[in-house]
Amino acid sequence: MNKSVPKFSLKSALVAICLLAGSLFWINWDTKPLISQEYSEMDQKISDKSYLIEENDKKAADTNQTTSMPIYNHWRTFTTRDGLPSDKAHCVRVDGDRVWVGTDNGLALYEKGRWYTYTVADGLAHPTVLSIDVSPITGDVWIATMGGLNRWSAGRFDKFDQFNSGLINDVVYGVACDGNNVWAATASGVSRLNTNTGQWTIFNTENAPMHEPWAYSVSAKDSMVYIAVWGGGVVEFNTRIERWRDYRDPDKEMEIDLFPDDGLVHDVTASVSYENGILWVGTYFGLNRYNGSRWWGYFDHDSGLASNFINFVKARGSAVWICTDKGLNSFDGKTWVTYRKTPNNNGGEILISEGATIVEKSAYSTTIAHNFVLGVDFQGDTLWVATAKGVSRGVDQRESTIQSP
Amino acid sequence: MKNRKRLFIIAGILSLIIFLIVLGVGHRWSSKHVYYITGGQPHPVDCIPCHVQPQRSGFAGRFLKKHYLSPLNIAVSPDGRQLYVIAQEGNALLVVATDERKVISKIGVGERPHSVVLSRDGKFGYVSNQWSNTVSVINLAEQRIINTLNAGSGPTGLALGPKGIFLYAANSYSNDVSILNLESGLEIKRLVAGRNPCSVQFSPDGKMVYVTNLLSNLAPFRTSPESEVTVIDAISQQVIQRKNLSSAHLLENVVFTPTGDLAFITLARPKNLIPATQIARGWMMTYGVGVIEQDKEGKAAQFLLDEPNMSFADPYDIVITPDGKLAFVTHAGADYVTVFDVEAVRTLFAEATPANLATYANDLGLSSRYVIKRIPTGPNPKGLAVAPDGKRLYVAERLADRIAVIDTEIMEIVETIDLGGPGEESMVRRGRRLFNSAENTFQGQFSCSTCHPDGHEDGLTYDLTGTGRNLANVQTLRDLNGTSPFKWNGKNVSIYMQCGMRFSKFLTRTESYSSEDLDALVAFIKRDLSHPPNRYRNASGELTSAQLRGKAIFERTRTNDGRSIPSKDRCNTCHPPPYFTNRQKSDVGTLAATDSPVVFDSPKLSNIYESAPYLHDGRAATLEEIWTKFNPEDKHGIANDLTKLQLNDMIEYLISLEAEPSWKEE
Repeated sequence: MNKSVPKFSLKSALVAICLLAGSLFWINWDTKPLISQEYSEMDQKISDKSYLIEENDKKAADTNQTTSMPIYNHWRTFTTRDGLPSDKAHCVRVDGDRVWVGTDNGLALYEKGRWYTYTVADGLAHPTVLSIDVSPITGDVWIATMGGLNRWSAGRFDKFDQFNSGLINDVVYGVACDGNNVWAATASGVSRLNTNTGQWTIFNTENAPMHEPWAYSVSAKDSMVYIAVWGGGVVEFNTRIERWRDYRDPDKEMEIDLFPDDGLVHDVTASVSYENGILWVGTYFGLNRYNGSRWWGYFDHDSGLASNFINFVKARGSAVWICTDKGLNSFDGKTWVTYRKTPNNNGGEILISEGATIVEKSAYSTTIAHNFVLGVDFQGDTLWVATAKGVSRGVDQRESTIQSP
Repeated sequence: MKNRKRLFIIAGILSLIIFLIVLGVGHRWSSKHVYYITGGQPHPVDCIPCHVQPQRSGFAGRFLKKHYLSPLNIAVSPDGRQLYVIAQEGNALLVVATDERKVISKIGVGERPHSVVLSRDGKFGYVSNQWSNTVSVINLAEQRIINTLNAGSGPTGLALGPKGIFLYAANSYSNDVSILNLESGLEIKRLVAGRNPCSVQFSPDGKMVYVTNLLSNLAPFRTSPESEVTVIDAISQQVIQRKNLSSAHLLENVVFTPTGDLAFITLARPKNLIPATQIARGWMMTYGVGVIEQDKEGKAAQFLLDEPNMSFADPYDIVITPDGKLAFVTHAGADYVTVFDVEAVRTLFAEATPANLATYANDLGLSSRYVIKRIPTGPNPKGLAVAPDGKRLYVAERLADRIAVIDTEIMEIVETIDLGGPGEESMVRRGRRLFNSAENTFQGQFSCSTCHPDGHEDGLTYDLTGTGRNLANVQTLRDLNGTSPFKWNGKNVSIYMQCGMRFSKFLTRTESYSSEDLDALVAFIKRDLSHPPNRYRNASGELTSAQLRGKAIFERTRTNDGRSIPSKDRCNTCHPPPYFTNRQKSDVGTLAATDSPVVFDSPKLSNIYESAPYLHDGRAATLEEIWTKFNPEDKHGIANDLTKLQLNDMIEYLISLEAEPSWKEE
């Protein structure tokens, strides 16, 4: 049997190996030692000089002089002790004065200082809640679970699943409200429910350029719907002209981003968020920004991104919040802010970076509950963060005089 | 010459003999036919009631049609000098001068109008058109329509906000509430309601909007119905509460006391989970009002308006006098207006413990403590309106084409206003009256319309046999022509049999309809009960691309992997056009342990989206569940190979189905 190896494959492999080796060399010699060194130095500082943390807490507002980005502090963490059904919070969604949290053991509602829990017995489709959105028109809350989609409307749960409705699959990873439509990103594609007519439309690999069925996230705004397709990049749906478009990683390399800023950094996308005409894409291998004509790619080795492994992104104005497995980032296109819990579990730190250069680093007595961050949302000057070990609430230092509890 | 004469005589005799034979055979055949159709009930052999009267189109249909008005709801002008009356069958708004007691104008509106509200200054009227999905805006001074606003599907009840900017419309078919901005003329949002929302009312302070829902929410199989009052915050224009009234159903209308402390809602309390044969114990259906307190607790209770041996069926509208002392309720099935003392109910409500309140809902004797008077009315009293000074109450006597005027002090009808209908009662009209009247049931417990509101279905499953077996999901009566046999088991070959002796003896425990009444009832059902226009059908009649794909699946002969589908397992074998039923019985694998071993009649599929829940015992909450949950062995058509995309397309096609319009009314 003849075995022929195409020439272009050999060439590609050689180029990839060289680039990969170079990248690893650069990463090893540049970023990682610096970060680990910073950690150890900071750990030492924190353990030796606890007074420094108190000073930072007191003078927290000064940090804002470095950047226009809001800096959140005075963190308070909520866990099962406070009434959450589980510490593992998959998502958080602010709804006016209320806050909804999806956990792996039910849906939690924070209202007037108290936590309430909704379970399957109350009508929740499944205990594991992965995503929540609130319709700005009706105020109805849409809940994506591992067992279908729920509408919570003034206390009433309506359940939509693949057996009783047109929902394509019960594993609903993401949900987004878009006018009278509700989009559900599922393990078998995307379903759109027109809440006025009750009609469902399915989009999957058969009728949309999705390439893979696993839709992990959906973001809808200003007539545009973006869907993060795990392994299939991002697909865009223009609701005005009802037209699809797909965005893929141009180099199709699984391990590296061959050419910078040429498009998606990777096809394994986890989250999308679209606002102010800018699309943010979180992948398991880095972050993307797209303004409709140009792409930017960001990695932990060349920016202030806490980790390339991104669970969730959320745009706010022209900035974005990035939930990673190593902490929480915010980024306005210029400045990065990183929130992370320090390894000795003794408070946390905030890093402010310009590109990959850390320009300021401060230790604080309070921080997010865990560095595995899964969701974030904003409530005025308050930031809510869903993590693997509880839900944290921080306050914008510029706006608040709230003291750490 | 003699021979010719003789031949002529012989031929004449022979003709007479043949004629008599034909007549005899024909009559005998006709008698058998009538016997078969009526299920053995004695009935004269007369072709016209059955074959001519129900015709919707053609010469006979046009010739026999009478143009009734059927006043449904009323509004009174701020000065009390004019009434605005919805003529439901006349597709018009009638303007009535109260002092002259006559109609002074008739304004044509959309199809099947339902409600009318007026602006505070009385300059504009707003009419919901249930079958046109619109609201007509009328300049009342000029008595002409100045705008037509699009609402959701099947707008019924209307309420105008305190500032006159926002109009709320209950969309009975799409199960939501439209909020219309009257300045822009646009619908700004739709809020999900319960099932079949039908009336809307602002609280006196203008902060809250209450919406009643005719049908109870879909409940788990064999559980009591629970009906929703949808509460909307008028500021945020979002639903903030869904108050459930347990074991309640048919929540028609709502009114607030002038102080706003209580809201009253007309309702029925069906006992569908216990054998219907218990009707003799007053257990089939009771009627009353729901009361909801407007404080933070929002306590709710139900008070019956019935008496121990007499039901007051189908309460429809409710109003309260401006002084807040008296409430008036129309009983559309009993032809009465009940007057009750608001303060007496308020006191009972305030003093009762939660345990007391729970018992009040079933206490038939309690009404003696608050019901002041029963005022008999004309047939099928519906909408009510109180004059601004509170001295006169106007009652729409729907099937008399008349407004009754009640003096609220002496609580008697003091005059009537003829709206100008045809006057005489046609056979079909008589049938409509019988359909809406509870007088033919034991102690007047229910009318046909109770379980078939608006000729449709109440969405409940009943235990009709009295043995806990053969539970039956109520089926629609709309567009029945050509779809016999009836009942889920197909045992009734005709509507005559369904509505005749069998029904009356077995279920209502009273005497059968007379043959004339039965003719009228059947003629009405066949002729006048129609589905509304299918909301999923393009106006052009063309199917959408999804519906076309679904049609191909509905008519397919091969599975996705190429296997031939036997004819008996194809959708269109049992559900062929034009009525989408082959009128045959089949085993679709849904027989329950509590069912007798029968096969089920293939139901028609016209406007099937209106008929949830599905299957003979209502076990399928949605159309999808018929195939995703209750067709494990492909007995209900081969469908388990369908992809979800294909199933969705098939559902899209199913909900677009409507009977061929050829026999619909011209």
